[in-house]
Amino acid sequence: MAVTKVVMPKLSDAMESGKIIKWLKKEGDRIQGGDILAEVETDKADVEMEAFGAGVLRKILVPAGETAAIGALIGVIAEPGDDIGALVASAAVGGAGAGSGAQKTPLRAEPAPAPPTPAAPPASSPAPAIPTSAPAAPVARPAAVVSAPAAVPAGLGQGTPGARVKASPLAKKIAAQTGVDLRLIQGSGPGGRIIRRDVEAAGSSAAPAAAAALPAAVAGAEFEDVPLTQIRAAIARRMPLSKAPVPHFYVTSEVAMDQAWELREQLNALEGQPKISVNDLVIRACALALLTHPGVNASLQGDAIRVFHRVHIGIAVALEDGLITPVLRDCHAKPLAQIAVEARDLAERARNRKLRAQELSGATFSISNLGMYDVTEFSAIINPPEGAILAVGSVRRVPVVDETGLGVGRRMMLTISCDHRVMDGAMGARFLQDVKRLLEEPLRLLV
Amino acid sequence: MATHKFDVVVVGTGPGGYVSAIRCAQLGLSVATVEDDRPGGVCLNWGCIPTKALLRNAEVVTLLNHAADFGIRLSGFEASYPEAVQRSRRVADRMAKGVEFLFRKNKITLFPGRGTLKAKTVVEVKGTGAAETLEARAVVLATGSEPKSLPGVTIDEKTVISSNGAVRNERAPKSIAVIGAGAVGVEFADVFASYGVQVTLLEALPRVVPIEDEDVSKELSRTFTRRGITIKTGVKVAAVKPGGAGAVVDLGGEKLEVEQVLMAVGRAAKVTGLGLEGVGVQLERGFVKVSPTMETSVKGLYAIGDMAGAPLLAHKAMAEGVVAAEAIAGKSPRPVDYGNVPSCTYCRPQIASIGSTEARAKEAGREVSVGRFPFTANGKAVALGETDGFIKVIADKATGEILGVHIIGPEATEIIHEFAVGRTLEATLEEIIHTIHAHPTLSEAALEATLAALGQAIHI
Repeated sequence: MAVTKVVMPKLSDAMESGKIIKWLKKEGDRIQGGDILAEVETDKADVEMEAFGAGVLRKILVPAGETAAIGALIGVIAEPGDDIGALVASAAVGGAGAGSGAQKTPLRAEPAPAPPTPAAPPASSPAPAIPTSAPAAPVARPAAVVSAPAAVPAGLGQGTPGARVKASPLAKKIAAQTGVDLRLIQGSGPGGRIIRRDVEAAGSSAAPAAAAALPAAVAGAEFEDVPLTQIRAAIARRMPLSKAPVPHFYVTSEVAMDQAWELREQLNALEGQPKISVNDLVIRACALALLTHPGVNASLQGDAIRVFHRVHIGIAVALEDGLITPVLRDCHAKPLAQIAVEARDLAERARNRKLRAQELSGATFSISNLGMYDVTEFSAIINPPEGAILAVGSVRRVPVVDETGLGVGRRMMLTISCDHRVMDGAMGARFLQDVKRLLEEPLRLLV
Repeated sequence: MATHKFDVVVVGTGPGGYVSAIRCAQLGLSVATVEDDRPGGVCLNWGCIPTKALLRNAEVVTLLNHAADFGIRLSGFEASYPEAVQRSRRVADRMAKGVEFLFRKNKITLFPGRGTLKAKTVVEVKGTGAAETLEARAVVLATGSEPKSLPGVTIDEKTVISSNGAVRNERAPKSIAVIGAGAVGVEFADVFASYGVQVTLLEALPRVVPIEDEDVSKELSRTFTRRGITIKTGVKVAAVKPGGAGAVVDLGGEKLEVEQVLMAVGRAAKVTGLGLEGVGVQLERGFVKVSPTMETSVKGLYAIGDMAGAPLLAHKAMAEGVVAAEAIAGKSPRPVDYGNVPSCTYCRPQIASIGSTEARAKEAGREVSVGRFPFTANGKAVALGETDGFIKVIADKATGEILGVHIIGPEATEIIHEFAVGRTLEATLEEIIHTIHAHPTLSEAALEATLAALGQAIHI
């Protein structure tokens, strides 16, 4: 039987390395294709890793707690009789070294374990430590982020979460060997089945594995360097990639939320109906408005603007150590109640780190809502390759003047950040106008 | 001149044309077909089917010759070659009638006569009666191919015959030189040798069945030689002249005196006299240039089968006919996968293959693992008394992808489809070995050859 290499899979668009939280199988366990081998912490979430080949888990090369670059060999599945010596030996000098090397870099100003000679205490010679690990941890290349969506079309073929991935045996093997995640690939075979050429295309467009761990500087006694968590490292890496190359412009509008507020109270008073949040109303309004303004539901792809026909909205969810944007798919086709239920489910699972990999990619637009923090208004940074993001402030009670004079009304500020390469100010403004109208005449959200 | 309007006109009713016509009809299109011979084309009337009937005769004769091996003692028997030909004609007639029946069933109108393009999608039919004009939304050309000869050698279908003459031969010659050891050449060599004809098989390339895997060529040479067929490879025919009992084949030095010469040096697309130039159809190396949906350079005009390029195989023509029909009906058919067309030769032992040969896989830079299993180690083959040949499986070492399979031996042409399906589904060696193969069958050899590629063959 063939020897199956277990490699760190690419579980999300931006993922460059993953940390093994724990192995669910131990060396010597018999493995069937599809068994869950390990839990992996990626830059976005904790994800279960499946086995592609069958046999015995002969060797675990990256133990729990350590990090490996995607594509790096982390274990070997083979039959007991197979000779895996050469494979294991090659991993020791190659892929696995990247992960363990990063881990070995001193993270805190702790006294190093007694060095054989006192001549080189680690604190006084940080320089050699960094260059040694540098080749194993190259700086993330912008190309990795920009090219990833090409391999991950917005309309993910394997739509239903948890559904079996339809892929040919050969496609599965090549994916397992090259570290391509089949769940992120659209199949071109009969019935959307993933076949060899799909995996090969994905493999060549995805950037080669690059270790993400950033070498931490050795600290003095007056401060402490807290190592970046995966998620913080991802944010740190990705946000400049947005703000610098993506020319943002901002359009702000104030929305009268009185009717929407009232409608929401009425809906939430209905027995047996899901509770609707203000954000759910905003999601629904955006989904409808994006259908009429497809130019906003768009993304710059090299020399073309890709206009998406389906609306997949990323919903920013704050976590203790960062922020995550699970994707609510096909919002344009979902009634308000369904949006409410699914958005709540996504947010809860995001907080519990229980999102599936495919729920973290493929958004065509995003919404960030800081309403719960009593924020009047703010501007958000676009999450490439999306073309726009909407920042939602709190619903505030403010004095308003109407025909009858001075009164009290509920108002909410919306600010859209747009990629000027994809659209112009007027387009952003017209979109925002429609969102405003939908929220101010909220019965439109129900039809 | 009467003018008729149809959605589709199919010119030529060989395996490509009639399948395309039926598929068009299934998709609700009104269809006319044009044929200047009998429906069924070369395949049903003069090629595949009648030769399979002759080869079956050859097989029966061979079995009778070996009756003693089974403990059956015959006090002589007479194998009449003319009756073998007559039987093959009955078989061909029956199949051709089958096509006419299918046309009626699918309400397809047959216009007997020769079709010529008058405009992009206008076909004029000249038959025995007045010419008729067929106007269509789309035209499918499926006029096939015809035997080629060597420069300076005229096929008279008497002394120098092509496959067309060979299937009509009313008696077997005493001796024959078969020029070309491709599928057609080795099949007729087999038929004639079985009927006691002295056969000399000539091939310009260094080995017989040169497109097949080298090991297959070796095995065929071995069995043919044992049967008394003279094989000369790497020889060039300088001239074929009348003389002696019939003809003298000049091999540039050696001269070969034979009663008949069979030209089996390949086939050429029939692309002349169809009016292709008039509408501006582009050709490429003698074949009509087509898109993946079989459309020619002229919109609405499709070409399929032998005239549209290699491989010149009936089943490839049928697959293309379906693609063309579905494209015309506005569907988006999956293009024909030319890398996965099985190739079958019905000599004894049979030859079947799919995918790359070992040499081509290695040329392509693949690191391969090769599994081989001989029929001598297969119980069913031994029971049948058909132990010549083997199955050879070539796989990618890293992934187990099945790159090619080459079979020579009993029912090779049936066994190959296990691998054809496997390759379509992108199965790897592992899926084949996890498929339980019934015992005792010839197909077990397929399993064993696959196991052998993984170093796990049980029965050898």
